[in-house]
Amino acid sequence: MSRIVGIDLGTTNSLVAYIDPQTKEPKCIPGPYGSTLCPSVVSLDADGSIVVGEAARRRLLTQPERTIYSVKRLMGRGSADVQTELKLFPFRIDPNSKNVIRVQLGDKHFTPPEISAFILRELKNWAEAFLGETVERAVVTVPAYFNDAQRQATKDAGKIAGLEIVRLVNEPTAAALAYGLHEKQRGHVAVYDLGGGTFDISVLKLISTSEGDIYQVLATNGDTPLGGDDIDNLMQAMTREKIRQEHGVDISSKPEVAQELRKALIAAKHQLSTESNVDIHFPLPNGSIFATAISREHFENLIRPIVDRTMAPVKAALTDAKLAPAEIEEVVLVGGTTRTPLIRSTVREFFGRAPHTELNPDEVVALGAAVQANILERGVSNMLLLDVTPLSLGIETYGGAVAKIIPRNSTIPASAQEQYTTGVDNQTGIDIHVLQGERELAKDCRSLARFTLKIQPGPAGLPRIEVRFLIDANGILQVGAKDLRTGEEHSIEVQPSYGIGDAEIERMLEESIEYAEQDFAERQLIEARTESESILSATTKALASPQSAALSAEERGKIEASVAAVQEAVAGTDYKLARKRIDELNHATEHLAELLMNSAVSTALEGRKLAEV
Amino acid sequence: MTAPTTSTNPPLVCWSCHERALGTHFCASCGKLQQIPHALDYFALFELPKKLWIEMGALEQKFLQLSWKLHPDNFVNASETERGLSLKRSSELNDAYRVLREPVARVEYLLATEGARKEGEHKQQAPPELLEEVFELNESLDELRETKSAGGDLAALKVRLETAASNFQQKLKEVDAELFQAAAQWDTAVDAESGGAKNQPERDAIKKQLNELLNRRSYIRNLVVNVQKEIL
Repeated sequence: MSRIVGIDLGTTNSLVAYIDPQTKEPKCIPGPYGSTLCPSVVSLDADGSIVVGEAARRRLLTQPERTIYSVKRLMGRGSADVQTELKLFPFRIDPNSKNVIRVQLGDKHFTPPEISAFILRELKNWAEAFLGETVERAVVTVPAYFNDAQRQATKDAGKIAGLEIVRLVNEPTAAALAYGLHEKQRGHVAVYDLGGGTFDISVLKLISTSEGDIYQVLATNGDTPLGGDDIDNLMQAMTREKIRQEHGVDISSKPEVAQELRKALIAAKHQLSTESNVDIHFPLPNGSIFATAISREHFENLIRPIVDRTMAPVKAALTDAKLAPAEIEEVVLVGGTTRTPLIRSTVREFFGRAPHTELNPDEVVALGAAVQANILERGVSNMLLLDVTPLSLGIETYGGAVAKIIPRNSTIPASAQEQYTTGVDNQTGIDIHVLQGERELAKDCRSLARFTLKIQPGPAGLPRIEVRFLIDANGILQVGAKDLRTGEEHSIEVQPSYGIGDAEIERMLEESIEYAEQDFAERQLIEARTESESILSATTKALASPQSAALSAEERGKIEASVAAVQEAVAGTDYKLARKRIDELNHATEHLAELLMNSAVSTALEGRKLAEV
Repeated sequence: MTAPTTSTNPPLVCWSCHERALGTHFCASCGKLQQIPHALDYFALFELPKKLWIEMGALEQKFLQLSWKLHPDNFVNASETERGLSLKRSSELNDAYRVLREPVARVEYLLATEGARKEGEHKQQAPPELLEEVFELNESLDELRETKSAGGDLAALKVRLETAASNFQQKLKEVDAELFQAAAQWDTAVDAESGGAKNQPERDAIKKQLNELLNRRSYIRNLVVNVQKEIL
């Protein structure tokens, strides 16, 4: 079976990681700019091509109306859910969209899963370029507090990107995996994960058994639309108001200037993690300069409500885990926003111990995803992850009330059976409404799906149908039904309330392939050419070196033929051939590379590529 | 959303190699994961006698041990049939553990498997000895709601309700103690039979008592929850 990579599909940045076969440690894969962080920004170029990552982030300043960031906030949500977001983010949403949002980029519309798919495809490309093989399967992380629709939307994004998501893993759980591996710690662990757009708290028990280590999640809680974005928005609102008062300039109608300001304020926010005071000089469109200073104290007063908002879920998770703060042996901080000193001190004070911050909070989730990917690839051998469902599953009963059938924090997979019968003669269907949430009334919970059980006409009360609701290991609902009189199994086609239909996903997949095949081939060719330049020049140099005298005539001939083959291949348009020729040249020059090395270390460097020597 | 694939009948032979099934989790001949026999209840799944006192440490050990074997993470590269079976079997395991580790849920489950309690049964009649107090409580609740909507002073009423709530909380503790006692009686009765004939009249009497205690417990619990909601 092919390799499975781990992907952190984040609000602000996304990453892809794999297990290094030499060290057996998880590692993040760098992209073309050398960074392992791929900004979760997508831009539609005027020529119709899609730009993702750092290049797209730069376009936020030049082409804001063709570029989108923080799309994760829109995943699995309907337009009625995101009205608050629309006031704070420059999302341009198609006014006709209802349960599935459509975002406008330039003159085109995309659903949030399609935009996320562009990001996934970019990461897939990074991994393929780095690993030199096709990547078709991935473990993708989601916030632990994501509901069914948000998880389903993430899976859809995978399908559209042509990537099989073998498992959705909760972000704090992934972080705990990476940490557990690193620290070899046991006992109760709390993971506080504040990212760009989501907040999660998970309480885990790390157990050593004779078979291996078990990571058992006891409880999870969170606040999905809460994160560093909200801090940025507060800073922007405050600054815009100041600019309006002091200079009489309203920049909310100027998207380019608004994005420049956002960028400056984010930089100031980062600086305030280490400095007590930051000066801002911001040029305004009218030529004047807005100057202000933000002190750490002022900043902390501004964000205190956000930090306080995270503490209610922390307490709720501990209550559900039946643990007191003092019973938590280790606290782990995850997500870039936890670099904020106020958050660190608040968490330290609450738990009465210093939180772990050893691993890079931006990378730790992706590293954990790679660990889980490795477990799935090889079958559980020495590590097992037992996660929970964050929200109770219920069905609507008489009078709009909700009967909970699977309580929150149940270990998944989890299931529940309900029996149904008819109330009147010859009734042909029973309507079932499935919901998720903790509230008592259906209208206050999240609607997951509505469907009708088809019944063979007969006397009232005679049919007996058992419906089985199952939450799988991804935290996604599956429904099956069984006629208890005949023992017959029925599959139920359930149309999710906030999802995209299968046919539509098919269409999006086809469209995205059209986009991608062209882009991908072009990009691969460019990358192959760049790589060939460095290896060709290294080979020329090496062949001219005195050490090369030790090569046999046959070896030298092979290398020269291989050089010619690379030159020919990169002049063409087939990137696969170019890559193959480069690999062959790398192979042909292995002995030459060894000769160039000091003979004492040459054995340790067997198989090295010439360009690396 | 798709339907979980499950086959219906309890298996007599292994679905994969068609050798006789021995009731083990994995086929003795081919090693493939097996369907669970219908007759197996949660107690049997954990290889426990049908008794109400359970040693929690041992229960957890068994749960973790079975999780290693049944979890879907083991079957990512397996056939669709095995993936479906693993999903079904591991969800059953998790459902069983969820029920058995909670004392009240455990009693409810035992009674349900004994046919002594219908699923979702909650008699919402006030137990006779509580009638007067429940009546007073409901009056206070009405008064609170009225005062709330009229915008009056709630302090005195709240104190009264808090007292009533803590009074009922105390009663809940008493019910739990009685439940614990009745559960111990059940275990003693099961032990006394030890392989011999079932003492059906005694069993039925204990089941009846357990059932009544559960109903009373659920009634009082609802009261407490309702009051706490109003006071907030």
